[in-house]
Amino acid sequence: MSKILIIDDDADLVAVEKAVLEREGYKVITAGNGKEGLVQTRKEKPDLIILDIVMPVMDGYLYANEFNNDKTISKIPVVALTSYIESPLDQPVPFDVLEYVSKPIKPKDLVLLVNKYLKKIDK
Amino acid sequence: MLNTEPVAGYIPELKALKARLSVFVRMRWLVVAGIIAVALSAKYLFHISFNLLPVFIICLFLLVYNFWMYLWNRRLAKDDTELVINRAQTSGYLQVLLDLAVLTVLLHFTGGITNPFVFVYVIHTTAASILLSRRRAYELTTIAVGMAALLAFLEYGGVIGHVNLVGFLPVNLYRQLNFVWSVIVTLAVLTYTSTYISTAVAGELRQQHLKMDLLRDKLLKDDEIELERISAEVTHLKDERTSFIRLLNVVTHDLQAPLVAVQSCISYVLDGYAGEVVPEQKDWLQRGSRRIDGLLLLITDLLDIPRIELGQLKQEMADLSLNDVITHSLEGLEIVASKKGLKLLVELPEKSPVVSGSARRLQQVITNLINNAINYTKEGEIKIRLLENSDEIRVEVSDTGIGIPPQDLPRLFDEFYRGSNVETKGSGFGLSIARRIINAHGGKIWVESPNQATGHGSIFIFTIPKKQNKPN
Repeated sequence: MSKILIIDDDADLVAVEKAVLEREGYKVITAGNGKEGLVQTRKEKPDLIILDIVMPVMDGYLYANEFNNDKTISKIPVVALTSYIESPLDQPVPFDVLEYVSKPIKPKDLVLLVNKYLKKIDK
Repeated sequence: MLNTEPVAGYIPELKALKARLSVFVRMRWLVVAGIIAVALSAKYLFHISFNLLPVFIICLFLLVYNFWMYLWNRRLAKDDTELVINRAQTSGYLQVLLDLAVLTVLLHFTGGITNPFVFVYVIHTTAASILLSRRRAYELTTIAVGMAALLAFLEYGGVIGHVNLVGFLPVNLYRQLNFVWSVIVTLAVLTYTSTYISTAVAGELRQQHLKMDLLRDKLLKDDEIELERISAEVTHLKDERTSFIRLLNVVTHDLQAPLVAVQSCISYVLDGYAGEVVPEQKDWLQRGSRRIDGLLLLITDLLDIPRIELGQLKQEMADLSLNDVITHSLEGLEIVASKKGLKLLVELPEKSPVVSGSARRLQQVITNLINNAINYTKEGEIKIRLLENSDEIRVEVSDTGIGIPPQDLPRLFDEFYRGSNVETKGSGFGLSIARRIINAHGGKIWVESPNQATGHGSIFIFTIPKKQNKPN
């Protein structure tokens, strides 16, 4: 069973995404900010990370820095799910993401997105 | 009280002084010619008997001395130090003094006090009054009268010889005390009066110069202060604007986040994840969802402003084929146009121009213009043209629509502005964002309505400067 980590500070949004993906049969773990996300990433070694950029405590940029420097996790694929379609203001996210997806995303589209990457990896 | 003392370092005054000194040099050349002419005509035309040799010697001396002054003035003209005004004044004083001495000697050899040219002293003292300070002018006037008196009384007393102008005046006139006194007194009255008038006028002029100079300095200083104030204000306004835009960014982001969550929750229900939804429930939920979509669209537009203004667009700049940008912009729009029965014509050059820009943003502009054209055109066609000249690219989107009322034209590219003859649709931000995007590309965007070429409909035009080929 593929494991997905959602890092986002919006609890309601996380709840929706979690419910949708669990129904698709994925194991979903969540983290409310980059710092928690990093702990979870290291502990759980998910197959895919869905990352928000603007978050309290540790935002997507800082998370990306830590992520890149840790060779044990830096190969995990990441999808950036942000509230605006482009890389946020002033600075591009300093690591390779599979895709930038803008919020809101419809449940069906979220499933398609996740399936696209996890199916590929499963092969 | 007028302060008639010259002001050191006062440039107009200095320029005037230099100019006057060179006038004196020029006049002295004429004086030499005049002396020779008068002496010769006195001797040969009026047969007055006197010795010409001293006159010629004096003239020769004057020539040499004046040539020296000429060279001195040229040196003075190049000198721009603070000291030069003092030097020029000393030079002027010495010149007048020397001229007075020369005149006295000349008079001595040409009849002394009986020579009517004795009144030439007035010219010298007037020159001194114009050239020098009041005190110096009176000093020189006194010296002039003194020299004349000394000459007269030395000759009268027989201390020095007297040259009689035989054939012109009675021979022993110089020994008649009444005559000597009358000449001296007349001369004194003339010279002092002329000095009084000249120094008053010159002093007045100097004062005016000084006032003008002070006024000019004051005006310049006022200008400077005003300029500083304005520039501080501009900086302040710029800072305010930047912080306002940052605030806008934060606020819109915070508005967007809960809306996104709400929309996701609604979608979750709508898509059936929370159990079956009956058609009536679905209908109501969809209504709500559509309104949130509209709000999210407005927020995306609002977020565009800080993104463009704060320079993010510059990061996206790359070399682009404009043909591709336009082709991509048209995707999906052909269907929209044909649904309304409109023709969408595209005219692209064979070889696509390349510009430096943000493909996504330019596409946004073109899509916006075409969308507007489709919205405001009932029948006919929408034409997109890409033109190129030596230094810019020009994109035109023209329609056969209702046109724009003239009173709307000036404000069309302002935020939230909607034409008075159109129904509410969209956020009202489209053209304002388009203007920002084009400006960020260094270009211009404007509208002509009615289209000047066809006489009806509207034409939106934007230009982008061509990429400058930098040498390597």
